[in-house]
Amino acid sequence: MSEALDNLCGPGKQLQAEATDAQEFAGLVRSGMARLNDARNTSLALESRFDLAYNAAHSLSLAALRRLGYRASNRYIVFQVLPHTLGLGPEVWRVLDKCHNMRNRGEYEGLLDVDERLVADLIVATQAVGEALPA
Amino acid sequence: MLAVLFGNPARSFYANEVIALAQSGTGAVQRELAALTEAGLLIFNKQGNQKHYQANAAAPVFDELRGLVLKTMGMADVLRVALAPLAAQIEGAFIYGSVAKQQDTARSDIDVMIVSASLAYADVFGALESATHRLDRKVNPTLYTPADIARRIAGDNAFLTRVMKQPKIWLMGNEETLHVRSA
Repeated sequence: MSEALDNLCGPGKQLQAEATDAQEFAGLVRSGMARLNDARNTSLALESRFDLAYNAAHSLSLAALRRLGYRASNRYIVFQVLPHTLGLGPEVWRVLDKCHNMRNRGEYEGLLDVDERLVADLIVATQAVGEALPA
Repeated sequence: MLAVLFGNPARSFYANEVIALAQSGTGAVQRELAALTEAGLLIFNKQGNQKHYQANAAAPVFDELRGLVLKTMGMADVLRVALAPLAAQIEGAFIYGSVAKQQDTARSDIDVMIVSASLAYADVFGALESATHRLDRKVNPTLYTPADIARRIAGDNAFLTRVMKQPKIWLMGNEETLHVRSA
């Protein structure tokens, strides 16, 4: 198993060890892909599409982590470990990490300033996570 | 060496770190560190058997030196080099936020605004990754098209209005080119 992930794993750390569960994995992938699909629906408000794509990215990134036998203690870590869970680079995980920070500012400070560019790029990055996951 | 120390004034560095980051010779760096400490520009303290050096924020020329470093050889240069492969697609780029206002700490993000009609976040993050590691700071780019900028200025967008009024460190282009093109 990945040494980088093992180093992040332990009591009080960002990851906890927890045996993989095939049903949970399938559920996360299914709901992630469904929301990713809906995020492409241009009749929805841009903010809604952002929420759908962001939550899809979270589900799929969490699935990647659960598949390897880890659970996350917080939301942002699932994106930061994508280089280790799925071998994805900064062009994917940094985009998701940025969207995570934007989502927090939107949820907690009422400052959701999303535009077409960001939502389009979030969808591309989320799609890359979905494609990197083994079926 | 000044770029290392005055580019990250909130933390101290041990001598070997400065030598590695400044990509310079041991003897030369050691002599410079001693001379700058003597002149009051650096603070020296010993932690165990490590000699730590930090930019002295109380030095009378601290603000000037830091400004000089930021503008000439510090993070601006590193970011400019990182973005250079994308330059043909960039209308303007600048650092804003706490770094440009000189209120940053070693853990502050470096906020960068990039104006481009064609770039995607994936391109920008791919290009900036090396700079993130070299500066040991998170770079937070915001990407707008010239039309986005014009629309936000016209709509009195709170974020952009605030950014445009703040101090900036220009990486590419300047205030005039941006305004002309977005008008």
